[in-house]
Amino acid sequence: LDENGDSWGMLACLCTVLWHLPAVPALNRTGDPGPGPSIQKTYDLTRYLEHQLRSLAGTYLNYLGPPFNEPDFNPPRLGADTLPRATVNLEVWRSLNDKLRLTQNYEAYSHLLCYLRGLNRQAATAELRRSLAHFCTSLQGLLGSIAGVMATLGYPLPQPLPGTEPTWTPGPAHSDFLQKMDDFWLLKELQTWLWRSAKDFNRLKKKMQPPAAAVTLHLEAHGF
Amino acid sequence: MSMLQIWLVQALFIFLTTGSMGQLLDPCGHINPESPVVHLGSNFTAVCVLKEDCMDYFHVNANFIVWKMSHFTIPKEQYTIINKTAASVTLTDVASLNIQLTCNILTFGQIEQNIYGITLISGLPPEKPKNLNCIVNEGRKMMCYWDPGRETYLETNFTLKSEWATEKFADCKTKRDTPTSCTVDYSPVYFVNMEVWVEAENALGKVTSDHINFDPVDKVKPNAPHNLSVSNSEELSSILKLTWINSNIKNVIRLKYDIQYRTKGASAWSQIPPEDTASTRSSFTVQDLKPFTEYVFRIRCMKEDGKGFWSDWSEEASGITYEDRPSKAPSFWYKIDPSHTHGYRSVQLMWKTLPPFEANGKILGYEVTLTRWKSRLQNYTVNDSKLTVNLTNDRYIATLTARNAVGRSAASVLTIPACDFQGYLAESTCYLITVTPVYADGPGSPESIKAYLKQAPPSKGPTVRTKKVGKNEAVLEWDQLPVDVQNGFIRNYTIFYRTNIGNETAVNVDSSHTEYTLSSLTSDTLYMVRMAAYTDEGGKDGPEFTFTTPKFAQGEIEAIVVPVCLAFLLTTLLGVLFCFNKRDLIKKHIWPNVPDPSKSHIAQWSPHTPPRHNFNSKDQMYSDGNFTDVSVVEIEANDKKPFPEDLKSLELFKKEKVSTEGHSSGIGGSSCMSSSRPSISSSDENESAQNTSSTVQYSTVVHSGYRHQVPSVQVFSRSESTQPLLDSEERPEDLQLVDNVDGSDGILPRQQYFKQNCSQHETSPDISHFERSNQVSSVNEEDFIRLKQQQISGISQSCGSGQMKMFQEVSAADAFGPGTEGQGERFKTAEMEAVLDEGMPKSYLPQTVRQGGYMPQ
Repeated sequence: LDENGDSWGMLACLCTVLWHLPAVPALNRTGDPGPGPSIQKTYDLTRYLEHQLRSLAGTYLNYLGPPFNEPDFNPPRLGADTLPRATVNLEVWRSLNDKLRLTQNYEAYSHLLCYLRGLNRQAATAELRRSLAHFCTSLQGLLGSIAGVMATLGYPLPQPLPGTEPTWTPGPAHSDFLQKMDDFWLLKELQTWLWRSAKDFNRLKKKMQPPAAAVTLHLEAHGF
Repeated sequence: MSMLQIWLVQALFIFLTTGSMGQLLDPCGHINPESPVVHLGSNFTAVCVLKEDCMDYFHVNANFIVWKMSHFTIPKEQYTIINKTAASVTLTDVASLNIQLTCNILTFGQIEQNIYGITLISGLPPEKPKNLNCIVNEGRKMMCYWDPGRETYLETNFTLKSEWATEKFADCKTKRDTPTSCTVDYSPVYFVNMEVWVEAENALGKVTSDHINFDPVDKVKPNAPHNLSVSNSEELSSILKLTWINSNIKNVIRLKYDIQYRTKGASAWSQIPPEDTASTRSSFTVQDLKPFTEYVFRIRCMKEDGKGFWSDWSEEASGITYEDRPSKAPSFWYKIDPSHTHGYRSVQLMWKTLPPFEANGKILGYEVTLTRWKSRLQNYTVNDSKLTVNLTNDRYIATLTARNAVGRSAASVLTIPACDFQGYLAESTCYLITVTPVYADGPGSPESIKAYLKQAPPSKGPTVRTKKVGKNEAVLEWDQLPVDVQNGFIRNYTIFYRTNIGNETAVNVDSSHTEYTLSSLTSDTLYMVRMAAYTDEGGKDGPEFTFTTPKFAQGEIEAIVVPVCLAFLLTTLLGVLFCFNKRDLIKKHIWPNVPDPSKSHIAQWSPHTPPRHNFNSKDQMYSDGNFTDVSVVEIEANDKKPFPEDLKSLELFKKEKVSTEGHSSGIGGSSCMSSSRPSISSSDENESAQNTSSTVQYSTVVHSGYRHQVPSVQVFSRSESTQPLLDSEERPEDLQLVDNVDGSDGILPRQQYFKQNCSQHETSPDISHFERSNQVSSVNEEDFIRLKQQQISGISQSCGSGQMKMFQEVSAADAFGPGTEGQGERFKTAEMEAVLDEGMPKSYLPQTVRQGGYMPQ
């Protein structure tokens, strides 16, 4: 009798679990949306910026003139050490935790945005200035988006260390060519960062997807 | 001199200008407030204050004040004299938008002198702007619009404010001519949410609309697709393929489309189902169109998820579907010229040209064939719509087909009767009478009817048969009677059915049916059924048909058997589940765990090991809570132990021991309580268990074959040594050797030893296992355990008896060195449990001797 009761109890539990399985993820979703949507949006924004930058960089490099607008122009990275580097060892990149990953992105774009504003000031044509200004605004939006994601996940925003705030100075020591080289590297690094950020946020996005399997397991454990 | 002149001119100028502005006139008083704006419908009070010198000059005071509103005097009742110099007037329920209010005095009793005047403006405060929404025209700036609410009658300013969470944007002020919309100054950034609201302000107040928060990409109105073109297909005359170029926004968002079409000249548009065009694309094939017809298309697009706005319609594009063969031939007729020559007659065939929807293309010509009775064909190809031929007086059959570029239509057929045709009609025969109207320009469409001169009952009845027989019903079917036996129009059928004993039942069925279902039949019964067909003149029965209804309906047996099986399965499953859950309890009661001596080994731990990792809570059950993992096992090879004479006595002994050991022989329990000292007496065992239960867990026992048999492997490992060590006494020298090895703590000598005792193919993978386990020393524990399990399962397959292998595992674990001693110890623990979990002996069942020791059955 005891066994029977237990069996029926288990059967009831199984049935309940089965019955509730389709409802559980839906219930989860109707509640707090979590960081998922904002991460998705940030991902979309990086893709959009990348697309925007492609045309902007083309225009700007044409403005710089040869050899910068030649497709196979690949100069050594000279004097661009102040730019944050997007390239990172794959293993290191994989092992980054969410906080570090977001912080690196935030810091990089804060710096790049400052440099880009400098670029804006020296651009010659009004059309180019307009495109650059819009791109700067968009990049500002990306910074805000990243800050939003970090806030959702409960991470603090990185505080810029006093004195390390990058400022663009029209260096008289720079020759015109070296100045153009800096501009070239800025755009290239920006492109690389946008590629990387797309990957970063894609990874975050996948990670933040609601773990439906875990819910099932939990319920089954509860059932027994 | 000239300086003076200039000064004079300037002074005059100043005098004149100020004088003209009334400043020098110095009014006799003033009204307060100066330029009021009041709420429409409210009360308003103005005060007129007179100046002392004026009052003296005109000999008046505040009592002489008269208020006028747009030249009409305000009644005295509305006045209030405040003091000698001031009087006020109160206007109630101000309804006019613009009121001229003047303060006058009555001088010398009669003359009204104007003192001061103001303009009173009235209106309403702004209402909260509603329905704020924004639109982003692709490539342009964002425009927001709203509903400003009621008319205020005052100048009202609207300001559109927008911000990000992190940043504010410049305000957008409306222009005077468009107070309900504003276009912001910046290009919006897609994928960043922004907050937008509008503020309305006038002299009477300021209100703010609700804030809206949105992503500008969800407000996009894309540019319309352009370069829409239409192409047709030679293979299919019913399709047209549309191609277009999407606007640039397709690089940013996914699009869906709305495609409309109509035939040229029609006014109503048809719509392609939206679900067919719900994803980004640049071409679409429209199907189910009419051949050789010109269609006009247009297309628009929007964001795929439906957020945002539809683009404008694209420019219209048109295309013509490819030709198809004519769908039918024109109906035609003949005219016989009465003035015929001997033996011949002149026959004119004529028809109408096909309308476009039947021609399906450009008609290239018509083909006429004329066939005389059993004679060859005569072919004519005609471009015109008539043909004149000379025919004999015989009967002819004429056919007509229309032809276009794709093919020809089916033929329409006409019989031209013989010259001496005379009608003879038979009774009970079906005639098809066709009447074709002939107009001046050709024949019209013919109409036909079937008719009988006189009907008769059918000459045969229909043959009925069953199509399907069920338990309670049967589906009957029959064929229509052939025309030559109908003898009239079949009006209805009657179905008669009866059982062997029962009454006959009749059912009337309409003549259009060829099937009928008899219901409420009795199962397992023989039925006889026949059928009669009736014309207006009577009926005729067909042959009788018998069928038997089955005992069970189709699927009835399955419906019973399947649930029963399922229920049985479910019960079994639940039973198994239950047993699985309670397996420890069941096992404890029915077959308590007795370790297999052949799977035993002796391990050695050094003290100072950390608490044992708890892999299985059952261990805890028997652990008394305070046991430590530290154990030092010493085995004395020369230990003299009583040994059973033969197998039977051994089994007897085992049973005895189990009964004395009682419940301590569970899976984990035995491993905890096991004694390291090989002993056969149960009392001894108990004692030693008590003595060592807190210190000893495993022991390794080595033997060299049972009795006179030569085992393939001489080493047994075991973890649950509540058993006598069967072989230890048989070959003490082997034990000695292992003991020495144990003592020396070396790895290599052991391997050496095993190499001597195990076949070669087993040894080489061992070493690789060993190396691997060294490599993974940094991997986490679970991984390591898994690896061990794999090894162990591999071992039991590869080696005839896996004991030796396990021994090596121990040595591998030892090889982690003193630094990882504790870790290694844990691994050993895990390993032992893995051995248990891998289905190694857990039961105590009758055993038979095999080569190599005891094997569980």
